[in-house]
Amino acid sequence: MELQKNLQRIILIELLVPLTLFIFGAYHGVMQVMYQSGVIRATSFAGIDYYEGLTAHGIINAIVLTTFFAVAFGTMVVSQELKSPVSIAGATLSLVLMLLGTVMTAAMIFLGKASVLYTFYPPLMAHPLFYLGLVLFIVGSWVPLFTWIPVYMRWRKENPGRKTPLGVVGIFATFIVWQLATLPVAFEVLVQLLPWSLGWTSGVNVMLSRTLFWFFGHPLVYFWLLPTYVLYYTMLPKLAGGKLFSDFAGRFTFMALILLSCPLGLHHQFADPGISTTSKGIQGVLTLMVAIPSMLTAFTLAASLELAARQRGGKGLFGWWKQLPYFDPEVWLFPYLFCGLVIFLFGGITGIINASYSMNNVVHNTAWVPAHFHLTVGGPVFLGILGGSLLIITGLLKKPVVSGTLAMIVPYVWMVGTFVFSTGFFMGGLRGEPRRTNLGLTYMNPASPSYRPDWWLATHMGMVGGCIMGLAVLLYFIVLVRSLAAAPDAALSQVPYLLPISEPYHDEDVSAVRNFTPWVIAAVLLCVASYYAPVRDIVKNGIRTAPGFRPNSPVAVDTTRSKS
Amino acid sequence: MAINVLERRALLGAIVFVALSLALISYATWGLGINVPTCIPLGTKPFEEASVTKHDGKNYEVHFVTRMWAFEPNVLRVPTGSTLDIYAVTKDVTHGLEIAGTNVNLMVVPGAVANGRVHFSKPGIYTIVCHEYCGKGHQTMSARIEVSDLINDYSVEGLPSSEGMKILDAKGCLACHTVNGNAGVGPTFKGAWGSTVHLTDGSTRTLDSAFFVEKVHNPTALSVNGYPPVMPPIPLTDDEIKQIEAYLEGLQN
Repeated sequence: MELQKNLQRIILIELLVPLTLFIFGAYHGVMQVMYQSGVIRATSFAGIDYYEGLTAHGIINAIVLTTFFAVAFGTMVVSQELKSPVSIAGATLSLVLMLLGTVMTAAMIFLGKASVLYTFYPPLMAHPLFYLGLVLFIVGSWVPLFTWIPVYMRWRKENPGRKTPLGVVGIFATFIVWQLATLPVAFEVLVQLLPWSLGWTSGVNVMLSRTLFWFFGHPLVYFWLLPTYVLYYTMLPKLAGGKLFSDFAGRFTFMALILLSCPLGLHHQFADPGISTTSKGIQGVLTLMVAIPSMLTAFTLAASLELAARQRGGKGLFGWWKQLPYFDPEVWLFPYLFCGLVIFLFGGITGIINASYSMNNVVHNTAWVPAHFHLTVGGPVFLGILGGSLLIITGLLKKPVVSGTLAMIVPYVWMVGTFVFSTGFFMGGLRGEPRRTNLGLTYMNPASPSYRPDWWLATHMGMVGGCIMGLAVLLYFIVLVRSLAAAPDAALSQVPYLLPISEPYHDEDVSAVRNFTPWVIAAVLLCVASYYAPVRDIVKNGIRTAPGFRPNSPVAVDTTRSKS
Repeated sequence: MAINVLERRALLGAIVFVALSLALISYATWGLGINVPTCIPLGTKPFEEASVTKHDGKNYEVHFVTRMWAFEPNVLRVPTGSTLDIYAVTKDVTHGLEIAGTNVNLMVVPGAVANGRVHFSKPGIYTIVCHEYCGKGHQTMSARIEVSDLINDYSVEGLPSSEGMKILDAKGCLACHTVNGNAGVGPTFKGAWGSTVHLTDGSTRTLDSAFFVEKVHNPTALSVNGYPPVMPPIPLTDDEIKQIEAYLEGLQN
């Protein structure tokens, strides 16, 4: 079944708008390593302040690009796998709200009115439109799930007893996690920050605000990851020329992530005051539980690749590795997913280190942290988005990818870049180098009393790696622009475009992973149980509220004046 | 249909791995006594002033005050083998207090007191880094602890002991002019008194009482080379000017 033309247009906008913005996001990525290594020693470059660029880098790359992709890809998977069109009105509403929110937020960032970074911790105060833009964006991203649910219910009625397609399970898991996670942050922004930035309230309970943010902030990473997991489980085996080793593993992983995504945000607050070690410890344990579905995923995907390689004639204990389409321009998407997996191996291991409670004392808020998440969101997630976007854009427009060879090279360049970058940042982090700091002015400046020559190698490796990553992005945009400029392929236009979805090899039927409801209920209960005590402590202790501060002045914002 | 046997083994392996990790973390926490910060003085009013108190032997209690964009105190010298109980509060936004190379890694959040403990068994210079973004001058916000075999008692710099520093703080001067030697939006105050100043009009002046008074009243006319001409005029009484001068004079390299 072909997607309706209007829906195709919406999907193309949802992919191309954030990719265009991403040019700025990537530019500021490269600029940051320049500032941090002291190649640039200034507060701003080419009219853009370091912290303004850093805010843009975080918001565009980690929120705008990822969320738009999840919505667009989700719409593709749901309508294709359930063989039923989804609501055009719903998709339009979602698109308009998200675009409006993006424009408002981006405008405030680039006007220099919101240099508060993507965590927007109070009492640093941004312009009210920055917060309002975020709310519109998030509300817009809520809409699709509710338009998909009736389609899914109808499918279940028409297909009694049939298993829900695995891709649909993954997409629903993505948006259930998103729904759970974004409610507290919507509360934070709407009830705490927006009225405060408008001068209607005089202060904010900062600890409450940080806790609500991280209730959202960690499941956010699973929201980034889940669409990529859908790519891995549904497409990777087929691209490799085989089948998915186990259908159960996919369903179990998606359900486990619904359960475990939210009740572990406190591991970002191990260093915060005002929260008991018991509360931190409980969520620390829950965090490590996520390793179970992750390791099962690693096993299943490796097994699927082995299965495919042996079908292609691979032999021996390790010899089969040679039989995969690493450098085949025809299956250029394979390396996007494969390199992502290789990067994620290191992202996962370093994630376990971050989450390991007292070990966090060494790395919290140091350069170690961006080193880690550029191997997760900057690795598998980002490559999944690049590859998936190129696949869908060219697929819907019936255009060839020009050229497959260049498209195939991009993930390898990116992988090399992230490894060099992250190795540098890991080294720096272990030596105490702070994250998101304009190091070139002080710590990487021989004229400053804070100069730390022992961070030189770390920051310069970060700089080299960052430039290689920038090169990969440049190559990607060459492919994207050339593909968009190419004439539609007459042969492709005869058939409806479909995503390549794998068949399962072991098609186990385990009823425990076939129904969302118990998993969602358990997730809500676990959230309440693990967040009740810390939130009670924070609210009950009556920690005094803080007035707002603009990032460029140590004098508190006079809320009475900003009313006029 | 039953789950594939290899799949079951992978699942079991993952569970064993998690259990092993938890055992190691428990050992680090209770066996080695390395814990994360907890919620101390619940509901207690945060202290207002930075201070260093010597308890018995080489045990010190240090109260840090953090603000945009400095630590008070900003230099602390202690003998090797000292143990420091650290408490920190903030006067404005959230700051970080990380002593690089140690396990002290704290978020200093408005309204709460952060707490950590560090033992220095080796001499050296330990950088205190603000590792939480706190605004435009974030990168200038650092301090240090000097641990030495050669001293028997502590000494400290950067406590707002003088009236002059309190005035500079209250008037917002310290946002752009650091007292630790780092260049901020404007030049540092450290070692500035009596030094030669190069102005954008090509002339040079010595930072003395006459120049200081002229500068605070008409700042943009006397812009210093290499810094943006953004300083506003600062209303100061004669007495306040005297206090500040006395403080700056004492703030040598």
